[in-house]
Amino acid sequence: MPDEITYQVRVARSTVNGISTGVQQFEVGLEERMTVLDALFRIQRGADASLSFRCACRVGMCGTCAMSINGTPRLACKTRPLLLGSRVVEVAPLPNLPVVKDLVVSLEPFFAQWKRVRPALHAKNPNSTELARVPAESKYMRETPTKRDCITCGACYGACGIKGSSDEYLGPAAINKAFLRLMDPRDTATRERLAVLNDERAGVWRCHTQYNCTAVCPKSISLTESIAWIKRAMLFPGRFKKA
Amino acid sequence: MKSTSMTAHVIQRISGVLLLVYLFLHVLTVHKFAAGAAAFNAALATYHNPVFKLLEIALLGTVIVHALNGVRITLLDLGIAHRERRLFWVLAVGLGALVFLVGAIPLFLHAVLKV
Amino acid sequence: MRNALNWYLQRITGALLVILLAAHFWVEHFMTAELQRGDLSFAGVHARVSNPVWQVIDISFLLVALYHGLNGLRNIVLDYSRFSARAVQFITVALAAVGIVWAYWGVTAFRNL
Repeated sequence: MPDEITYQVRVARSTVNGISTGVQQFEVGLEERMTVLDALFRIQRGADASLSFRCACRVGMCGTCAMSINGTPRLACKTRPLLLGSRVVEVAPLPNLPVVKDLVVSLEPFFAQWKRVRPALHAKNPNSTELARVPAESKYMRETPTKRDCITCGACYGACGIKGSSDEYLGPAAINKAFLRLMDPRDTATRERLAVLNDERAGVWRCHTQYNCTAVCPKSISLTESIAWIKRAMLFPGRFKKA
Repeated sequence: MKSTSMTAHVIQRISGVLLLVYLFLHVLTVHKFAAGAAAFNAALATYHNPVFKLLEIALLGTVIVHALNGVRITLLDLGIAHRERRLFWVLAVGLGALVFLVGAIPLFLHAVLKV
Repeated sequence: MRNALNWYLQRITGALLVILLAAHFWVEHFMTAELQRGDLSFAGVHARVSNPVWQVIDISFLLVALYHGLNGLRNIVLDYSRFSARAVQFITVALAAVGIVWAYWGVTAFRNL
């Protein structure tokens, strides 16, 4: 039997309506390579079957298990308690989103903002039968390699200091998506996107370069830089004209 | 969630509001100039009190932190700098402490200890 | 366009303020041994502000500082409130009015030169 370390896992619990019922502590033994997600499964199977949480791929690809771990939004499947530096692991639902139950939140507000920037590609000719290629050496590919990895986990949304006080703000993920579409030479919905990005309450101007989003992104996307790029370009909207 | 840059932002906001309050008090005092030499000099005399000198040193600190963090934010916003946390510790805290000491020590010695 | 300009101006005025404030601090607190002791006086200030160059600098300084500070306040309102766009418009006008009165108050400090 491999060595196990015992952790005090403090889980924020709630009712089915998302009404908080306080923090419940569990003693969980974990092997050194195990993750917070493993801990949650052990609790659910061994201690309390009513514990609710979401997960899917368990390898950091799908973004489903995003939650607050020791105060920071993280993917549960990619967080090893051994590396947290404490025997106490505090697990809570992702902030800034409505709680459904325990660690399950509704991502509806996140995706509502996502849709506001028109995340789909609006190509010049939607009925074309040819592939709309973007060459590998093109400016677009060279300048956006790290920006395309978003798995819509919502960690940035939960971490954002502005989202904490603003329902209207788009949030980093949506703005980064808009950034990708704006940079894409095949896209044509520039004007509609710029309108929402320029909005005083919803748009890029509410970002105050706190870098929380960049710090928590499990895909290491520098979201703050995407937002800053848009701010700089907004003074010269002509920059967004596509060839 | 707390992070270095978020703390910097909060400090920026608080120092900004404090400086705005100070600006109000400052224009209030400077306005006494219009009332003539006697009124103005009397107002200045109240500020010779060591308590005010200490407040002045606090003002220096507030200004320095707000100014240097502001420069930091501008550099990050323009895409000139990228390492936001390092910039905070080096520019706002490091250089800030240096400039603060250069300014505060003489102020303290001359004005408070009357050296 | 207006929001972008606003954003840039906050940074430009900030940069200007760093320079203007450093100069102001120097002139008022460090330039002479007398000032370092804290011995400001009516006569000293009068001599300086009688010079039109200093008048231009001081007035510009005040206006730039007021723009930067009040714009900062406006951002705080936008971030932490749920006021409607209408209400924000009203607050903007109110802040501008406060700025104008404040500037007038500051400039008229030297009306009796």
